[in-house]
Amino acid sequence: MSIRKLLCSVALSGVMATGALAEGHGWSLAKAAEPYAGTTVDVVFLLRPGYEAIEAMLPAFEEETGIKVNVIKHPYENALGEQVRDFVAGGDLDVVLIDLVWIGNFAENDWALPLADVQAKFPDIVDPDLDIDDFFPLVLDAFGSWNGTTYGLPVDNYSGLMFYNRCMLEEAGFDGPPETWTELKDVYGPALTKDGKYAFALQSKRNETQSADSFARMIWPFGGSFLDADFKSNLNSPESQAGLQFRQDLMQYMPDGIVAYDHAEVVNGFAQGDIAMITEWSAFYSSVVSPETSKVADCVEIAPEPKGPAGRKPALGGFSMAVASQADEAEQAAAYLFIQWATSKANAVEYVERGGVSARQSAYEDPALAETFKYIPALVESWQDGVPEFRPRFAEWPEITEIVQEWGTKMMLGEVTTEEGAQEIGTRMEAVLEDAGYYSGDKPLAQ
Amino acid sequence: MRGQVSRRTVIGFIAPAVFGLAIVGIAPLLYAAWTSLHFFNLIKLKQVKFIGLENYWTVLTDEVFWQAMGRTFFLLCTALPLQLALGLGIALVLHKPGLTILKTLARLSLVLPMATTYAVVGLLGQVMFNQKFGVINQMLGGANINWIGDPTNAFAMIIFWDVWQWTPFVALVLLAGLTMVPGEVEEAARLETKSWWTVLRYVQLPFLLPGLVAVLILRTADTLKLFDMVFTLTRGGPGAATEFISLMIQRVGFRGFDQGLASAQAIILLIITIILAQIYIRVFYKEV
Repeated sequence: MSIRKLLCSVALSGVMATGALAEGHGWSLAKAAEPYAGTTVDVVFLLRPGYEAIEAMLPAFEEETGIKVNVIKHPYENALGEQVRDFVAGGDLDVVLIDLVWIGNFAENDWALPLADVQAKFPDIVDPDLDIDDFFPLVLDAFGSWNGTTYGLPVDNYSGLMFYNRCMLEEAGFDGPPETWTELKDVYGPALTKDGKYAFALQSKRNETQSADSFARMIWPFGGSFLDADFKSNLNSPESQAGLQFRQDLMQYMPDGIVAYDHAEVVNGFAQGDIAMITEWSAFYSSVVSPETSKVADCVEIAPEPKGPAGRKPALGGFSMAVASQADEAEQAAAYLFIQWATSKANAVEYVERGGVSARQSAYEDPALAETFKYIPALVESWQDGVPEFRPRFAEWPEITEIVQEWGTKMMLGEVTTEEGAQEIGTRMEAVLEDAGYYSGDKPLAQ
Repeated sequence: MRGQVSRRTVIGFIAPAVFGLAIVGIAPLLYAAWTSLHFFNLIKLKQVKFIGLENYWTVLTDEVFWQAMGRTFFLLCTALPLQLALGLGIALVLHKPGLTILKTLARLSLVLPMATTYAVVGLLGQVMFNQKFGVINQMLGGANINWIGDPTNAFAMIIFWDVWQWTPFVALVLLAGLTMVPGEVEEAARLETKSWWTVLRYVQLPFLLPGLVAVLILRTADTLKLFDMVFTLTRGGPGAATEFISLMIQRVGFRGFDQGLASAQAIILLIITIILAQIYIRVFYKEV
């Protein structure tokens, strides 16, 4: 036997032995899923790029596991209501899709199972390479955890970023985006608002957009917040008022009727070249850099949101997926396998390449990926300094956000002053919190 | 007795309809009445409890509820007269003799707005009234009118679409009423006077009254529960400019999840609708 043949034989034996070891003692998705082949997992997805990315990857999961994933699609605005009704009625959903502001609600109603409970119940299906510490700590804490317990794994993750049109800025004599909100208003605003073009647009439609993208975005960088340490309204504090008044002043550099602008209108205005800068979720990156949907694809650059007097407090939003308590045992196991796979380290890069935004730190270590997806450096920076309670995440948020949406819009329209509006929101918000039992000590002051 | 239908047959024919009505109409109403007497929040089901009339008291003393009710009645008081005036005009034109084919075509085309789904009307409105790209501003010579983001303009837009969609309904109902006028009576009246107003007032109007009362009741009820078109077009905004009563109930019940309070609002709305219908019938309705 020649030396070459001998080496080949040894190498082949080695590979076979390793494979046998993996089969015998190692963990594989296919093997873990064997008892649950044929199970159907029902899950709500949103009509957003992050979910389209998972859908595109799903055939591989279904083929490997034999588990069928039944996707029910809803626009964001319907997703909470649809899920609540399903859980109240003991419906079919096996996976809970949790926006960060819904987590208190789902956890307190026991609709989502704690991750540790699921893992303890089905130890054989836990991937040894799950590596939960690989998630950005802020994201795992804000999107997936409530009151010290982790329920969901982050799946469709956003940070507010500044998208700017480099060509428009250069034409106006700027060689980069503004560093601070004040600079944006006082320097960039006057220079870029002319000839039917606008320096900035802040999506402010009366829905969650008004609360999250407009109202909260302005109070935090100026040092404000919704609540103080005693859970009383902090909206009339000088810092919160400074942020809200800043928003009023900034409106002169935004398109008319900005209170009717949702994400689509702002992103389209930017993509058409009518707006020089927007602060939007990272999830909209693929829309503004695609020549099919953007006239300014070649001019798009991304930066972190500007800083305020209290620092950079970018908008924080995003989702996690948890196992639904109403699912039967096989469905719970299958749901866990699906969630674990969709959020895994192994799939993170492909997820990003298909248009999703992963919360895995390891996915962004490859510099080549950051060159392709220009939002990555800004995103990574933003996730170092976010505020988990950017919007309070307790169960009462659905009631409070309605109040903020109504009076926040009235402030912008000039129907009330920022002080009057903040007073109204504060009074009504405190009434909701009082009814919920926060002031009597029935509920812990967790947000 | 020969020729008399047996009691069993009568019950056999009527019972399925009554049963169906009870299932789809009365049972949910009773459930809503039960819910309205409870603290019943979908995301706080562990705290469900009987609270008597507290939800009703909350509704009746809620400034926001009455503001929404005021907006709804303002819409009714502006859109309905326009629909009646335009609808009557169209009906009178179509009632004139001659041009049969054109009138048939006109009658057919009148059905189109009514057949358009409310939500689609709202989506159409979003596109057509878009400040920058909308066809309405283009038709106004490239005007830069902010329709959706301005409270007054948004309200005017809702009136426009409501009138566009429901004027044909009024026209068809009134046209049906005009065809009820005996030909010889109308002809005799026209020989007596050349005044169209006199003919309308003294000959045609009595035949139009049943239809008018039906229009008043149906359009009032429709306006009070107007939801889809406004929800897709403005979502009640900007601010609360187009938050009509049905949008408010949906917001409380399905976005705030307070089903008890929303049920109380809905029951009060139902009572108001019934009272208005009774007033219409007593004041306007007369047998010819």
